[in-house]
Amino acid sequence: MKVNFVFQQPNLPPLVELAISWFIFLFGATGPIVIILAFVGIRGFLHITRFESGEGILYKLSPLTKLIIVISTTVAVSLTIWWFGAILTLVFWSLFFTLNEAKRKVLYVSYLLLSSILGVSTGFAFYTPYSVLQMAFNTNTLNVIWVWPSYFSFAGYEPYLTLQALYYGFQITFRFTAPMLAGLLLILTTTPSDLMRYLAKVKFPLPFIFALTVAMRTVPRIFDTLDTVVKLQLMRGLGYGKPSFLRPFYVLIAGLYGLVPTLIFLMKGAKYTAIAADTRAFNSTPRRTYMKEVKYTKADYVAWGLIVVLFVTVALLLAFGYGRGIPYVGY
Amino acid sequence: MYAVEIKGLSFSYLGSSKPSITVDELYIEEGESVLVVGKSGSGKSTLVNCINGVIPHMISGELRGEVVVMGNKVKETPMSKLSTVVGTVLQDPESQVVNYLVEEEVAFGPENLGLPPEEVKERVSEALRIAGIEHLAKRETTNLSGGELQRTVLASVLAMRPKVLILDEPTSNIDPEGTNSVFATLRELKGKKTMIVVEHKVERVLPFVDRVILIDKGRIALDLRKEEIIEGVETLVEAGVEVPSYFVLSRKLKLPRPDFEAVKKGIKEGKIALETPKRKEIADPPIMSASIKVTAKDRELVDASIEVKRGELVALMGRNGAGKTTLLKAIAGLTGDELKVTGSIVFEGEELIRRPIWYRGKYFIYLPQSFDLILVTTKVEDEIAFSLKKRGVKGFKQVVERYLREFGLEEYRKQDPMLLSMGQRRRVAMASVLASGVKVLFMDEPTSGQDFYNRMTLGKELRELTDKGYSIVVVTHDSRFAYEFADRIVVMSEGKVVANGKPEDVFKVSHKYGVEPPSDFLLRW
Repeated sequence: MKVNFVFQQPNLPPLVELAISWFIFLFGATGPIVIILAFVGIRGFLHITRFESGEGILYKLSPLTKLIIVISTTVAVSLTIWWFGAILTLVFWSLFFTLNEAKRKVLYVSYLLLSSILGVSTGFAFYTPYSVLQMAFNTNTLNVIWVWPSYFSFAGYEPYLTLQALYYGFQITFRFTAPMLAGLLLILTTTPSDLMRYLAKVKFPLPFIFALTVAMRTVPRIFDTLDTVVKLQLMRGLGYGKPSFLRPFYVLIAGLYGLVPTLIFLMKGAKYTAIAADTRAFNSTPRRTYMKEVKYTKADYVAWGLIVVLFVTVALLLAFGYGRGIPYVGY
Repeated sequence: MYAVEIKGLSFSYLGSSKPSITVDELYIEEGESVLVVGKSGSGKSTLVNCINGVIPHMISGELRGEVVVMGNKVKETPMSKLSTVVGTVLQDPESQVVNYLVEEEVAFGPENLGLPPEEVKERVSEALRIAGIEHLAKRETTNLSGGELQRTVLASVLAMRPKVLILDEPTSNIDPEGTNSVFATLRELKGKKTMIVVEHKVERVLPFVDRVILIDKGRIALDLRKEEIIEGVETLVEAGVEVPSYFVLSRKLKLPRPDFEAVKKGIKEGKIALETPKRKEIADPPIMSASIKVTAKDRELVDASIEVKRGELVALMGRNGAGKTTLLKAIAGLTGDELKVTGSIVFEGEELIRRPIWYRGKYFIYLPQSFDLILVTTKVEDEIAFSLKKRGVKGFKQVVERYLREFGLEEYRKQDPMLLSMGQRRRVAMASVLASGVKVLFMDEPTSGQDFYNRMTLGKELRELTDKGYSIVVVTHDSRFAYEFADRIVVMSEGKVVANGKPEDVFKVSHKYGVEPPSDFLLRW
């Protein structure tokens, strides 16, 4: 179907337009990462990816319940209208206030959320075909707010950036943010051993459980090591004499430099982990036993009740026409 | 029945034409304790991996001959079965631990065996008791000291109730107190289990082993009863194994066995002349002085001052957690934002406390224990040029040439640093950080996990650098290294400097702070 474009882009000198286009082009790719590096930092990730004991409600839930919450959230946001995902994002964001050292974690996770919104929004807005926008918004009229240089199409850009495309990208964001925050809450409030025990109870394959357990232990080490490598490169003069506003870019470059040494360092550790596990009979019997019993508390029953409520809500939204649209916007 | 029987063993790693280990015959009695020594890369770990089944079950290669452990042919016995017969404790405790709580880690093996929960509990409490860490059962493994963590690993292996226990450099990454605690557990186990201990610390392990085996260039070069060790002293020294000086001196005095007191008497009576390590007495004022406070939340981690003179080699010592690394990282600007750093860092009159990391990097640099982390390029010459280019140094090519020459790296200039030997990699790392013009080098535990030969080589390299005017601060647990090479020792305890001076003076009091004086010093004291 033919698209009617309504041009509303600002009237600027061609050179300025070109400069802005290139700025957006570069910002679209690196901007969200730069935001994370500037405000969260690599060490910040350490604080939002490792378990620390606490007393809040989430620490009382069994890992299995939390895993079911993550999966249910993923299902719910993929089936329903975008604002339901936004509400769930808000719910999970507010649950960070119940964690140990909440202030710092809420701050970091807020930056992570902001960069995710920017990253996903721009990631979708620049590339989504007009036909999809027509279907999603049930209109043939699209409001053009920016015209890209024609050669940007080689990078997969649509010729025009439309208001609808931005709106579409923003809506899509919440399909990612809600499960992301739920997943982080699971990692922050669950010990690897607990996760192992509960997953084994529901017959999850042992090698997968072990991989997950080791990953939960390794992820904070990755950030810790990468942080050291990045700082070492900065200390060696990377970004020396450059203005301070460019610092996050140099952290990004140092991070890229540091990927290989970090991986080699971690691989060496992984070899010892594998030997340590195998020399202690890991995966030797199909029926692994557990010293501690798997227990469900009142909090788990309440959480399961809430999961049922979530699915009932999803069913109601679908019934009242608030399911996902084509392909992702509900109308 | 022998605990370990080896006949005609030879193993070559994939892609290697030469065997890494060749053993015609080796028998270890049940209940016997054996110390395996040798230089890094001599084949010690390959040998023990052939005994615990890691070779051939986890590491492939060309394996010939037969290894039998407690009647089980290693090649034909699955790892799950072998793990109940042979327990293995490796070097780095952190990478061996996978669980969150200590008791969960200890229960890991018995749970893998599918034992009933009651038996798992019984084994856990038994293993915790033997390892002397019952009080740590509910502690988080992430918050343990190196010694505590290694004893947790030891307990988790003991919970499998193995008849044979292999300890592959179990104390190389922990401080002297942690080392003592691990060795205390081994002393408890002597005679109760067959133990094969791979260690560089000969003097420390000798009291609780029956036999010493030297591996050199992939072969057994020496196999002696402990009482006969004096006969093999020269061979051990030649093979690059750390042997306490009084062993060598006992041999010179023709004593039947190593005798510390007799040697000391001999020195006093002038029968033996000992060279005292040379130390610099530098009268110039310090080029760098730092007075630093580091706090985390409401806890003070470090409140210490340190100064360094031009051309001085300072050893920074103390227990794990004393604040040594935190102090150096704080000076270098490497601490995370969860730590608050205040105070003053003055380098040649310039205050640097508010300066960013890349500015401080002009004057001093921090080299971590895993120095490979600094190597980010694919050619040695690029690595050395890295800082020079980033700092915009004109004529950097000449500087690179000079450093390639000075560090003996010319022939490796086009090679990937990661593919070089450990000693060469260390030289690349040092050359690359010094080439940029820094004057002070902070090295964090460069001696950990190193054999005697490597430590001595490192010491000589550092001495050469200080002779050229560089100042070096080395964090180390190695008292012998510090005694041999340092001009000055600074001891930290609970975040504070508690001793500072010449090694001869500091070692008189350092034991109070977990730093044991080396026997070389005690001989002269």
